[in-house]
Amino acid sequence: MNPRSRRRAGLLSGSLLIAVMPYAPTASAAPAPTQVQAAATTAPVGPAAAAPPCEACHGAHGEGMAAAHVPRLAGQSAGYLLKQLNDYAQGTRDNPIMRNFAKALSEKQRMEFAARYAAMSAPFAAQTTPLNEVQLARGHQLAFQGSETKRVQACDSCHGPDGVGVDLAAPYLAGQSAEYLASAIKAFQQGTRKNDAGELMRSVAQRLDDTDITAVTGYYATQGTATH
Amino acid sequence: MVQRLKEVDVVVIGVGMVGSMVAKELAAAGYKVVGLERGQTRFTVPEFQSPAIHDELRFDVRKALMQDNTREAMTFRNQSSQTALPIRRWESFLPGTGLGGSMVHWNGQTYRFQANDFQLATRTRERYGKNFLDPDVTIQDWGVTYEELEPYYDRFEHLLGTSGKAGNIKGRIQAGGDPHESPRSREYPTPPQKEHFQGAMFRKAASSLGYHPFPQPSSNLSQPYTNPEGMKLNACVFCGFCERYACEHYAKSTPQTIILPVLLANPNFELRTGCQVQRINLDSTKKHATGVTYIDAVGREFEQPASLVITASFALNNVRMLLLSGVGAPYDPATGQGVVGRNYAYQTMSSVASFFDEDVIINPFMASGASGTLINDFAGDNFDHAGLGFIGGAFIGAVNTNGRPIQYHPVPPGTPKWGKGWKQAVVKHYNHSVMFSLHGSSLAQKQNYLDLDPTYRDAWGQPLLRMTFDFPQNDLKMAAHVTAKAVEIGKAMGAKQVEGSPRKGPYTVTQYQTTHNTGGTVMGDNPKTSVVNRYLQSWDVPNVFVVGASNYPQNASWNPTCTLGALTYWAIDALKNKYLKNPGHLVSA
Repeated sequence: MNPRSRRRAGLLSGSLLIAVMPYAPTASAAPAPTQVQAAATTAPVGPAAAAPPCEACHGAHGEGMAAAHVPRLAGQSAGYLLKQLNDYAQGTRDNPIMRNFAKALSEKQRMEFAARYAAMSAPFAAQTTPLNEVQLARGHQLAFQGSETKRVQACDSCHGPDGVGVDLAAPYLAGQSAEYLASAIKAFQQGTRKNDAGELMRSVAQRLDDTDITAVTGYYATQGTATH
Repeated sequence: MVQRLKEVDVVVIGVGMVGSMVAKELAAAGYKVVGLERGQTRFTVPEFQSPAIHDELRFDVRKALMQDNTREAMTFRNQSSQTALPIRRWESFLPGTGLGGSMVHWNGQTYRFQANDFQLATRTRERYGKNFLDPDVTIQDWGVTYEELEPYYDRFEHLLGTSGKAGNIKGRIQAGGDPHESPRSREYPTPPQKEHFQGAMFRKAASSLGYHPFPQPSSNLSQPYTNPEGMKLNACVFCGFCERYACEHYAKSTPQTIILPVLLANPNFELRTGCQVQRINLDSTKKHATGVTYIDAVGREFEQPASLVITASFALNNVRMLLLSGVGAPYDPATGQGVVGRNYAYQTMSSVASFFDEDVIINPFMASGASGTLINDFAGDNFDHAGLGFIGGAFIGAVNTNGRPIQYHPVPPGTPKWGKGWKQAVVKHYNHSVMFSLHGSSLAQKQNYLDLDPTYRDAWGQPLLRMTFDFPQNDLKMAAHVTAKAVEIGKAMGAKQVEGSPRKGPYTVTQYQTTHNTGGTVMGDNPKTSVVNRYLQSWDVPNVFVVGASNYPQNASWNPTCTLGALTYWAIDALKNKYLKNPGHLVSA
């Protein structure tokens, strides 16, 4: 278990006190967040096995495949992962590959996959195209402080201190691959991804240019081992 | 030595909401405008970013965004027989300071007043007879009507992008909105914010009792919005840090998000921060202002000559500026003569706490400053007051704005005030309680007023403002009546314990109530009972305009900001299309 997973598990063990129940979603009702959390904590941790249909792209340990813009899932918030699976299945997030996989999963299976990946850990990949100092500084500025001239708030305002993510609300950015993050921002920018509450990511993405996107995604990609 | 600066067309005292709006319009019309702000420059980035902006100790407890009362306090007493003492720590009300003013730390609750409010004296007399009220009550008509202000309300709401549901469009009642509201010309710019759980509980209970719940009009926006100035705002994330804080998300309408960047880009405008205006200067006739004198952050004194002076500071500071400058005759409560400082009013706040079993999970922290649900069935004159012995009312709402850890811990009466028993009660009730706010009107009466303190002075040697205020009996009766109605709603929600706390006297400045201080530079159609005419122009010094909630002759059942925005656009129109084309009295006395 890497430090991030340990921290997350620590947070979750607190919630376990009030959420000690087996996950048993009914066919119609969406699972409550506490159920997902409980599932996350009851799923096997440590060298968890990736699910066969997922690991081909997302890796044996959920490390993702940066070159193909496939996100790292290890240690990601179970609530966030479940929402994405549901959105793929319902078509509110559009991706032809993920749509088919998600649709084939039952409600319960989606919850199990989300919980399993939330409990996983994986080594952080080395940066394929390291940033220069100016780019890193700009990335840090956007992440930590935002930009008044661009009128964008700090990414950390929603994604948590140092981009570690906020359970049930926003995915972690720190340690995610720059390639995936950039493709996600571009999708929001172009409006091909629309499953953000209040159009929050679309609003922000539209104000960033390519230089900003390279800087901030590259910056977060370097933060996986440094800060967690 | 006083340095005399080059004359400009307009000097604006205070660059908050009103100052930004006035300066933007006049600079765009080609006038040279200087804005004097006593506080510091600040913007969404970097000053308002989290996690620093969510520091509850710094902003909530220690009031970091408020007027510095180590340098500039106010004094307070309940009645004129007492000696007033300085308020050394803001509690009851929280005047802001700095670029953007108090609007930076507001909750975003954006109500209109009703047609009745603007003609309160006339309508009360007509409906209840001329002897209905205590003879000490000094309510009066505004000199402007709702119908006249409607286009300016509309313009202001569209500047802010306010999220709400109309209840009355051009006389047609709209399902889901407030059926009591006066007619509006069109729907709100953006739909209401999402309703939280306690709002839904309130809606159901209030409906079951035959009332008319509707979503709180919010300027923490429900969706992205581009205002007529071209400013883009984001959707609110319901972080629960609005009032007393600034918004890090560009989601709350404040001068920084709705207008300041447009103003600051205009070369006709010059912003000077750290400038403490000492007085408006008058010529020897005392009927004409020549400009203002101010002291900058390093103590240098300047005279800024100007053809037109606009006081646009917080209501209480507008009053003080006129008193320090000798613009208008100070009010004397003994004789009833004079006008500056007269008709100071406030807001009569009550509350109801409903405590539920632990299986009812409220999650109070998931809120914005204006994401609640409320009713206006007991606000204003929306119910018959015959036989009740008071006028006015309050909105009742599940409008709790936050669940912040230091300040929010509802516990039932009888709970120990500290120690283990208190802690256990906080844990037990934190997530299973609903707090209603009862936001009540405030009548003016002759004993309540503002003047200059004879003893205490600010850091620049100027007398502090002195407040003499206690709740009128009318308002305490109103609070008791409306609180009883709200308790019934709490019971209809199924709470196992409902505790009403009607506002009771005497007024204290050591407990937070609201920052809705009004009056003191009242508008009207008679110079004997008002400081400014219906266009907010001084009766005595026609090249001074005073714009603020200090213009309200008395305060209504709702938050004052939206009405102030409407009045500001109303005054701007008069300035641009009447006064500046032909300077002089816009209304003959």
